[in-house]
Amino acid sequence: MPLWSRKGKSTAEPTRLFYASDIHGSEPTYRKFLNAARFYEVDALIFGGDLMGKLLIPIVRDGDGTWRARLQGQNHHVTSEEQLRDFKKTLQTLGFYWQEMDPDEYRTYEGNQERIDELFDVLAKERLTEWIALAEERLKGTGVRVFLCGGNDDTDEVLSALDDAGLDRVVRCENAAVELDDEHTVVTVGYSTPTPWETPRERTDEQIADIIERLMSEVPDPSRCVFNFHCPPLDSGLDTCLKLDASVWPPTPIIENGQPVYYGAGSQAVADALARYQPTVGLHGHIHEARGMTTYGRTPAYNPGSEYGEGVLRGLIVAIRGGEVVGHQFTSG
Amino acid sequence: MAEAVAPQVFTRRASGLVRVMSPYSAFIYNILTMGVIFPWTYIWAPTAFQGSNLTLGIVFALLFELPIALAYAWLATALPRSGGDYVFQSRVFGGGFGFTVVFAFFVVWILQWVALSGWLLAALALAPTFLALGVTTNIHAFTTLGSWCATSNGIIVISVLNALAALVLLVTGFRNYVRFQYFMWYAILLSFGIVLVLFLATNPAAAHAKLNGFAAEVDGLKNFFGQAKQAAAAAGVNFKPPFWLFGTLMVAPIAWTSLQWATYSVEQGGEIKNAHVFRNQLFILVGSLVVTAGMLVLLALAMQKGIGTDGILVASSGYWLGNSKALIGGAFLFPNMIAMGLTGSPIVVALIGLGFILNSFQIVCNCYIGTTRIMVAQGLDGLLPDWFARVHARWKTPVNAHIAYFLAALPVIWGFNKVSEWTRWTLGVTFANGAVMTLSALAAALLPYRAAKLYNASPGARYRFGNVPMVTVFGTLGFLFGAFMVGSFLFVKDLGLAYTSDAFPYWVVLGTALFGLVVYFLMRQSKASKGIKVEYAFAEIPPE
Repeated sequence: MPLWSRKGKSTAEPTRLFYASDIHGSEPTYRKFLNAARFYEVDALIFGGDLMGKLLIPIVRDGDGTWRARLQGQNHHVTSEEQLRDFKKTLQTLGFYWQEMDPDEYRTYEGNQERIDELFDVLAKERLTEWIALAEERLKGTGVRVFLCGGNDDTDEVLSALDDAGLDRVVRCENAAVELDDEHTVVTVGYSTPTPWETPRERTDEQIADIIERLMSEVPDPSRCVFNFHCPPLDSGLDTCLKLDASVWPPTPIIENGQPVYYGAGSQAVADALARYQPTVGLHGHIHEARGMTTYGRTPAYNPGSEYGEGVLRGLIVAIRGGEVVGHQFTSG
Repeated sequence: MAEAVAPQVFTRRASGLVRVMSPYSAFIYNILTMGVIFPWTYIWAPTAFQGSNLTLGIVFALLFELPIALAYAWLATALPRSGGDYVFQSRVFGGGFGFTVVFAFFVVWILQWVALSGWLLAALALAPTFLALGVTTNIHAFTTLGSWCATSNGIIVISVLNALAALVLLVTGFRNYVRFQYFMWYAILLSFGIVLVLFLATNPAAAHAKLNGFAAEVDGLKNFFGQAKQAAAAAGVNFKPPFWLFGTLMVAPIAWTSLQWATYSVEQGGEIKNAHVFRNQLFILVGSLVVTAGMLVLLALAMQKGIGTDGILVASSGYWLGNSKALIGGAFLFPNMIAMGLTGSPIVVALIGLGFILNSFQIVCNCYIGTTRIMVAQGLDGLLPDWFARVHARWKTPVNAHIAYFLAALPVIWGFNKVSEWTRWTLGVTFANGAVMTLSALAAALLPYRAAKLYNASPGARYRFGNVPMVTVFGTLGFLFGAFMVGSFLFVKDLGLAYTSDAFPYWVVLGTALFGLVVYFLMRQSKASKGIKVEYAFAEIPPE
């Protein structure tokens, strides 16, 4: 069904959205995300941020036609081109980047985080550019648009791939209020509150509140607005994770009385906005393990969680009509 | 040529997923769930299969469960999520099948375990402890209290309080349980060790004499053991049975009712730290199995040394043949009861009793923990109402699912203790839980073919026997061994459903399966009316 047909009336078919986030560079998960439009028969795809992968696997040439790499705590000795192809396929599924290099080149990266970060940006931007092209190709002629944005883990350098591309089916929705259908608007904020990991795009709650205020001033009817906020609302159950000690790297769980401490890692500004504006729905990601739903007055808020590392696309189908959610379904594809 | 290097992974600053339960905690959890100090094997098998060898039967059960536990290690690393068996089966077989099997045979049937754990606490932990304290301290109130604990009203009250205490502990934070589990673990180990020592430090003649003295104090009986043995012989016990291989093989399904729970931690796979790491799952699943089987074997050998074949057969006749002469204070002669009769120290009695009380409590906790995780997963998938999946904002636990399970358990507790036919109706309990694990083993065998992408991305994918994925080999073996044992529960008279000649217990099993199916179709219909297809919860999207 074309996106721009008349929708949103109580008697009309609901607009069906598919939401997912935090795929962190996983190629098959992203491909599944694009195919979700056809598979789940939805009208729009909304991505909630964190496109970039977290690990880069150096595949070091041994000089005798073999390669060495380390993956999931195990050393791998790759002895043929065919094995190398399979190995790279596994890395794609896991959302890792890779770079073939000689031992001398590998040594130039050892202990040089700045150089490693630069390599991450180059490889991640390449992958995002390919992904944008793939979306345009797959969604061409379908009437379905894909709303893409970054999360706290994505760098501005990598996200600039969205600015560079000529976009038709892909909508760069970051920090913007964008029309979704005849009566609903999507408002997107990709930042998170500060994390122990000191990720590239973190903002204070006050800054996030300012961004939301600015964007909401552009929305004609807040009750018919879809919040696509990467960071979940504070203490909502959608943001529950272990409290970490940020004074060490990598951050480790804080233990009290012999047990790890849980806390809500979400945003008060997001919680306040949900309570105040009572939008149609709140879509959130960021905390992979906090899959669930909650409500703020009439507004349901969801976090479908993430398991990109297993090549599994966790997501959420939401049917909205007249500013209300008429049905939802968590998915695990 | 450049010198070879051992490359490491490059990382950047990005947020990461951290989980709460350590592999060691999960390992303990499985051992406690297997209820090492409540082994039915000792009081069921000896007279049900006279001539069987207990030790060898436990070893058979270990060998049969081993491929199942190994197959689960592959599943748990490929899908380290809460909801375990439900997630595995819905992924491999489809949502309708996965939901129906796991909802009917786990969520519904484990209600029986809530009632049973209350019975364990009342009849096997509190009653013997108070009776023995009465004898060792000469305080009559203890004896009276112990006798009340073994009455049906006593068991109901204790069962409800047991379930309520677990509810409060678990809804106020899973960390509270994890913390308490360490205390339970060490207390239970101490209790188990004391029981072993008491058996090893005596001989059958001395033990029988001590039991006579104990029974005289509790029930005012003279020559308890002689009378119990005589009654057992009259009930059909052969005290010099020849070795029976088939009977020994049939001990395995009984021991399996304990050992099958080696894989229960998968239900909270999403909460276990580094659950995707293969060696962690081997430690949690296979390690707990081997340790528990070892403990069961040790206890069997110690009992043999301490009370002899005659003692074991007399104890078993009280439970399996209804020999009332073989009860003390109305309580079955489980190993702890016998051990309490062997000591004259109230401190030792209290320490043994504490271990048994705590393990009973742990069993009701694990009923809640496993089933509520499944219910939350099913609620999130839209197959139970959303209400079940709600997580409490402050306590971060699925309070609604816990409360629902507590309420559902109340009529089961009442029926278990007040309805005389209840036990006959629910003979399927031995079959149902094992059927879930057997089908999960089959899911493991088919994982590389039914969910190839998922499997190929899992750490277990690199292990093969020739061209055959290792998980397929272990899963197939596990399925065959599991099918042998659940088949035994279906058809062997002294193992479960065939115990009575009528078909009603079979209808109850079928009824629970149909109930699961009806819930599935009702929820499917409800979702469809809102423009949502529930099948989407499980269907794997092709990436291409």
